[in-house]
Amino acid sequence: MAHRTVQPILVHFGTLFMFCKVLGLYPHDLQAFQRMHTLQGSKIGTAFVCATILAVVVAYNFLIYSFADEDRELKEAQSTLTFVIGIFLTYIGLGMMLTDQWSALRNQSKIGELYERIRAVDEQLLRENIVVDISKTSQRILIMLALTVICEVTILVSTYIILVDYTKWISLLWIFSCFPTFYNSLDKIWFANTLNALRQRFFMINTALDGMVESHEKLKRWANTGGDSLLSTRKPSIANVSIDASIEYLYKDFTHMEAVKKFNMPRNKITPIAHSLNFYGESFETPKKPYKLSIQPPSFNMVYESELSRDIEKVEENLNNLCQLHDEICEIGKQLNELWSYPILVLMAYGFLIFTAQLYFLYCATQKQNIPSLFRSAKDPYITTIYLCYTAGKCIYLIYLSWKTSLESKRTGICLHKCGVVADNNLLYEIVNHLSLKLLNHSVDFSACGFFTLDMETLYGVSGGITSYLIILIQFNLAAQQAKDAIHNADESVSAMPTTDGGNTTALMELFTTTFLSSIHTTPY
Amino acid sequence: MNLLLQTCSLIFGLMPFNRTQVDSNIAVDYSLVLVMPLLYLFCYYTVNFSGFSVRHLPTCNSICSLSSKLLMHVGCFLYLTIYFLTLLRQKGFYIEFEKRLTEIDELVGECIKVADTQNKLFVPKKKRLYYFTWIIILATFAFAIFYDINEMSQYYGPYCFISNMVFTFPYVAGSIVQGMFASYVSVISERFSTLNILFEKINHESDKRNLPIAVMDIENDAHKDDTYGGPAVISDLARRKNRFQQKQKGVKSDDRSNNNDSDFAEDEDSADEAYSFDEYDETRLSDGKTSEENLPSLFKLHDKILSLSVLVNAEFGAQCVPYMAACFVITIFSIFLETKVMFIVGGKNHVMDYVIYLYVIWSFTTMMVGYFVLRLCCNTNAHSKQSAMIVHEIMQKKPTFMLGNDVYYNKMKAFTLQFLHWEGYFQFNGIGLFALDYTFIFSTVSAATSYLIVLLQFDMTATLKNEGLTPKVFSTESN
Repeated sequence: MAHRTVQPILVHFGTLFMFCKVLGLYPHDLQAFQRMHTLQGSKIGTAFVCATILAVVVAYNFLIYSFADEDRELKEAQSTLTFVIGIFLTYIGLGMMLTDQWSALRNQSKIGELYERIRAVDEQLLRENIVVDISKTSQRILIMLALTVICEVTILVSTYIILVDYTKWISLLWIFSCFPTFYNSLDKIWFANTLNALRQRFFMINTALDGMVESHEKLKRWANTGGDSLLSTRKPSIANVSIDASIEYLYKDFTHMEAVKKFNMPRNKITPIAHSLNFYGESFETPKKPYKLSIQPPSFNMVYESELSRDIEKVEENLNNLCQLHDEICEIGKQLNELWSYPILVLMAYGFLIFTAQLYFLYCATQKQNIPSLFRSAKDPYITTIYLCYTAGKCIYLIYLSWKTSLESKRTGICLHKCGVVADNNLLYEIVNHLSLKLLNHSVDFSACGFFTLDMETLYGVSGGITSYLIILIQFNLAAQQAKDAIHNADESVSAMPTTDGGNTTALMELFTTTFLSSIHTTPY
Repeated sequence: MNLLLQTCSLIFGLMPFNRTQVDSNIAVDYSLVLVMPLLYLFCYYTVNFSGFSVRHLPTCNSICSLSSKLLMHVGCFLYLTIYFLTLLRQKGFYIEFEKRLTEIDELVGECIKVADTQNKLFVPKKKRLYYFTWIIILATFAFAIFYDINEMSQYYGPYCFISNMVFTFPYVAGSIVQGMFASYVSVISERFSTLNILFEKINHESDKRNLPIAVMDIENDAHKDDTYGGPAVISDLARRKNRFQQKQKGVKSDDRSNNNDSDFAEDEDSADEAYSFDEYDETRLSDGKTSEENLPSLFKLHDKILSLSVLVNAEFGAQCVPYMAACFVITIFSIFLETKVMFIVGGKNHVMDYVIYLYVIWSFTTMMVGYFVLRLCCNTNAHSKQSAMIVHEIMQKKPTFMLGNDVYYNKMKAFTLQFLHWEGYFQFNGIGLFALDYTFIFSTVSAATSYLIVLLQFDMTATLKNEGLTPKVFSTESN
């Protein structure tokens, strides 16, 4: 089968790679990629990435500095809480971008190997007659890219038009505010598609196993419909084979009696057929066993096209290979997870913090309080919605994909056992049990640096966390506001009727409705 | 599926007509499915934008208006998500489910035929609890609907229908979908318990079965003369088995008492206890036939039922999420309103009382339905796990049919291993966010407590005063 070759999946990453290369996210060699579709480290690329890092950091800081006038006001307005949160969160976006680029630099020698391994797996799959369809990858990448660009541009442009004073030339610096998130999204698209490729391979293995089961079932059905007359002729052979299987036992005589007794009993129709097939299949698959004992109708041989009923050694080899491949894909998954562990951790932290902060600032904005200048998009609820959807979508998609991949890998064991059950053959059972134990120990649980696993339960926990933190933040804010009002009122010696109190509570209740609803909305459907 | 539930879901437009026929008129099938949401949206629009609502009544204060808004929007969210998920589930699901179920039932029937010669295995179940549960559920729902209609008809007369559509309909619809889920799960659970009975039968047979005459003879020989190599092994085995029997009996009786405590399920009463040991002896004496040849098909059945539950969970698990979320929100706010408003100024404003009572009623109802769903899922999980345990027991006892050949041993081992894989792969869950079992109750209760602590800190007295509702304590003081 040497004439058939497999395409490396990197062929479909062309557009994405160009984006990453031009923007200075990845340092890999462009020519090597274009010519051979491999990722190789390159010194010029490293220098270019370093230069981009420097440029973006400088520009971003300049942006923060030039928009800092409002922040000074914020400090003076004594909303310390908002100010501190703002300072802390202003830099997390930049930090995220730096982590991405740093890990890209760090991994540039290892990442090529990863894709090489995936290609090797593809080749082996092909040897097992499993063709992995990767043509959809480039389409998926394009869709993701388009979504990212649309979201970024909408947020940037609408914020710029509505909320930034665009009469000053310095406001053009605002463009840099979207750089960190955009870089991050590109990196995550790359990760997501690689992960998806792994998931697809797991899926292909499972379908292959399922296919075996199905073809065998078809065969059985054929035997059931066409084999009525065969049943009577096969009966003697059954007893003999079962003795044969038990030949090593001391008390074989006893068993023999049992077996004969068992098979002479009147029974309903279907179950004995299944049974006789099992034993019959056994005798067929292991040619060393005494053939002459079983009287085989010649036509029966021709329909044995199911893979599971081929020579037992071949079946064993086949299943073994699939298990090896499963193991290999699991290992690749682990490596992939390791390469991207820091970026994922930072992304999740970023998602959590930004989600909370954005909602909090939205609250502040509805209460006509000052908010940090970089979070000005929170002044408009629609932009906030888009922004939150974009951030949450990024995080949730990754979590969902990891969860699905993990589940898919776990399903292989079940499919394998189905093969065993459907063939119902002692030797095959032994093989399947052995392999199944092996499969139980392969696991791909994607985690962020081991801090938490990337599955949906984490998402459930996180959405609860966001809600409770938000409530606490708002409570602090309320308390601070009330204290300020009290001081204010005492200064002006106005009547001590706290009018804002009731208003605040109502507004708070309103906000609860929004936060609760939005926290529910974070759960994907 | 239960007939009542089926009719309700048909009327509420949550299930297409002719759901199990492939080629029927789409327009007819989906007519009500399309009409109901349009009606709902129309009512929602009317209530929100043309002043036809509780919160536009003159006596409705800010608390009342806010809480009615929340109730309405949560209901809208619940209904719309559930509706769209229902739309996604087309007829294919029902057809597929029926097909697989009949397949399973056929196989089960054959297994029963093999195992059960005297029809003693399946005695009719006690249905008392089942009817009791249904009565409670129906009464609660009838009361909720009646209360809403009754209250609203005071204000709007026959037009109360519009208001009811917005406040009551979404929760009823959500509950019906959960009910459908529960009924499917209970169907699955029933199959599992039937399977367990069959497994148990094999277990008991291997447990109580007299050793075959040949072996008995050998054993007697061994008693006379222990120098024989081969027979000694067997007699050892037999002795060990006897010891096992006694032990197992003790364990079994414990199990049974436990089961009696925990198993009072809604749609299925565990029939594990339906038979007694004596019947087995009888069967065995009459003919020496055993049902262990059922094992392969039982394993296959177990696998099939599990894949059926995967299918059901994939369809209904997603709908659990909005329902549980709505239940959570409504419950928290009902406790909050009850303690902070109702407790202090209850009975002073009729409209406000009405809205707060709606909260209480719906929190109770949704919690109840949610609890039933969780319990059924938990029971099903337990049943499927029990099969693996029984198989292990059989394996431990080394019954006579296993002596002769490895194949049974390997089969059972394969089955238990496969069950391990299944355990890692599947559990009833809401799209992976939470497992649908009792742990979910624990996590929601703890979350609800922390939210409640935060919420109960708010001082509502100022707001209440603003609305002209003086708390009882203050009014007595002023007097």
